[in-house]
Amino acid sequence: MSNQDVAGRKPLQVLEKIRESLERLNEKIEVIIELQKHDRKDVQEPLSDAPLDVMTLLSMPDHLRKTAMTLCRMGRATAEEISEQTKRARAVESAYLNQLVIMRHLKKERNGRKAYFFVDRENQR
Amino acid sequence: MSMMGKIVAVHSYKGGTGKTLISINLAAALAEQGKKVCLFDLDFRAPSLATLLKIEKSECWLNDYLNNVCEIDKVLLDLSERVHDGGKLFVGLANPATEAIRDMSAKDRKWEMRALGRLLALRTSLLNDKRLDYLMLDTSPGLQYSSINAIVSADLVLVATTFDRSDVDGTRRMLRELYDLFEKKTEVVLNKILDVSSKTGKDEIQSKVNDVYQVPLLGIVPCFCDILKARGGIIFSQEKPDHPFTRIMNEMAAKLDKMGQ
Repeated sequence: MSNQDVAGRKPLQVLEKIRESLERLNEKIEVIIELQKHDRKDVQEPLSDAPLDVMTLLSMPDHLRKTAMTLCRMGRATAEEISEQTKRARAVESAYLNQLVIMRHLKKERNGRKAYFFVDRENQR
Repeated sequence: MSMMGKIVAVHSYKGGTGKTLISINLAAALAEQGKKVCLFDLDFRAPSLATLLKIEKSECWLNDYLNNVCEIDKVLLDLSERVHDGGKLFVGLANPATEAIRDMSAKDRKWEMRALGRLLALRTSLLNDKRLDYLMLDTSPGLQYSSINAIVSADLVLVATTFDRSDVDGTRRMLRELYDLFEKKTEVVLNKILDVSSKTGKDEIQSKVNDVYQVPLLGIVPCFCDILKARGGIIFSQEKPDHPFTRIMNEMAAKLDKMGQ
């Protein structure tokens, strides 16, 4: 394919956008799959105040606690970095991390293609 | 010793099991073996290290560090002059003032969450930057926020326990319902034990610990009248190097150090 504009954009940029969208879609599907697996019991209603303190960690299901504990130790990490520590698949960690974001225990931000997860200790409501 | 230092929390189900006695003497024993050690008093409800170490004032307390009003350097007190064999010993103290105890008892969940972050940051500031071999955390007994924060931050939990029935029962529950959930490596230290003079006696205790707790036993500390008589006024590992209690602490320190190799 030539490097000329397609509908005002370069083909490479268009493909990049499609890839990003697919990745986000994939993350959402992973969360849905995990929610189905665990019968939604572990995802409580989002709370307005959900600090990730030790008592919250204690009350979490084992699979989420492992992810949350690892992120607590690392401070800020991608799903890939968490999976290296927990020895579980990246897709599984991505799903758990996104579940923890839904539960408002974690925050997520993107830097280019990479999604970083962290505990917002200072600004958590 | 591995390249990276280790955080060791000393915890128990009940009070009076000898956590502080074990923490302070184990830290001193490690320092006497040439290690760079720091001991923190995280028992904010009943601080005792300041009294035991005969320190009346500190520029900053651990309370201040956790309240984010000072950095950890300001909290550390260098007691290395009390160490004989080239090791280093630092301490961080909890503020023993009644007002400070009251203030720490009234903290909310958000504060505790931030305190956990400050404790977790010690791995970088003390183990990586200051290259400490050991950070020992003397905690308050039971399921208090501050002690669970310490457990979460630690690499290893030493559980001080006695053969008191309620202590055995509570410790067993805590092992399953607290340390296991956090996937913490745990070792038991049996304190105030009678009749450990014979090998048979020790073997029986070892087997009992295996049956009841199903975790490794770091050491057995007999009931010493000398310890009671000292009333917390003597750091045996420093002042009584030939005492049997010091020998047990040295053995435990050596075992602890071997785990990191």
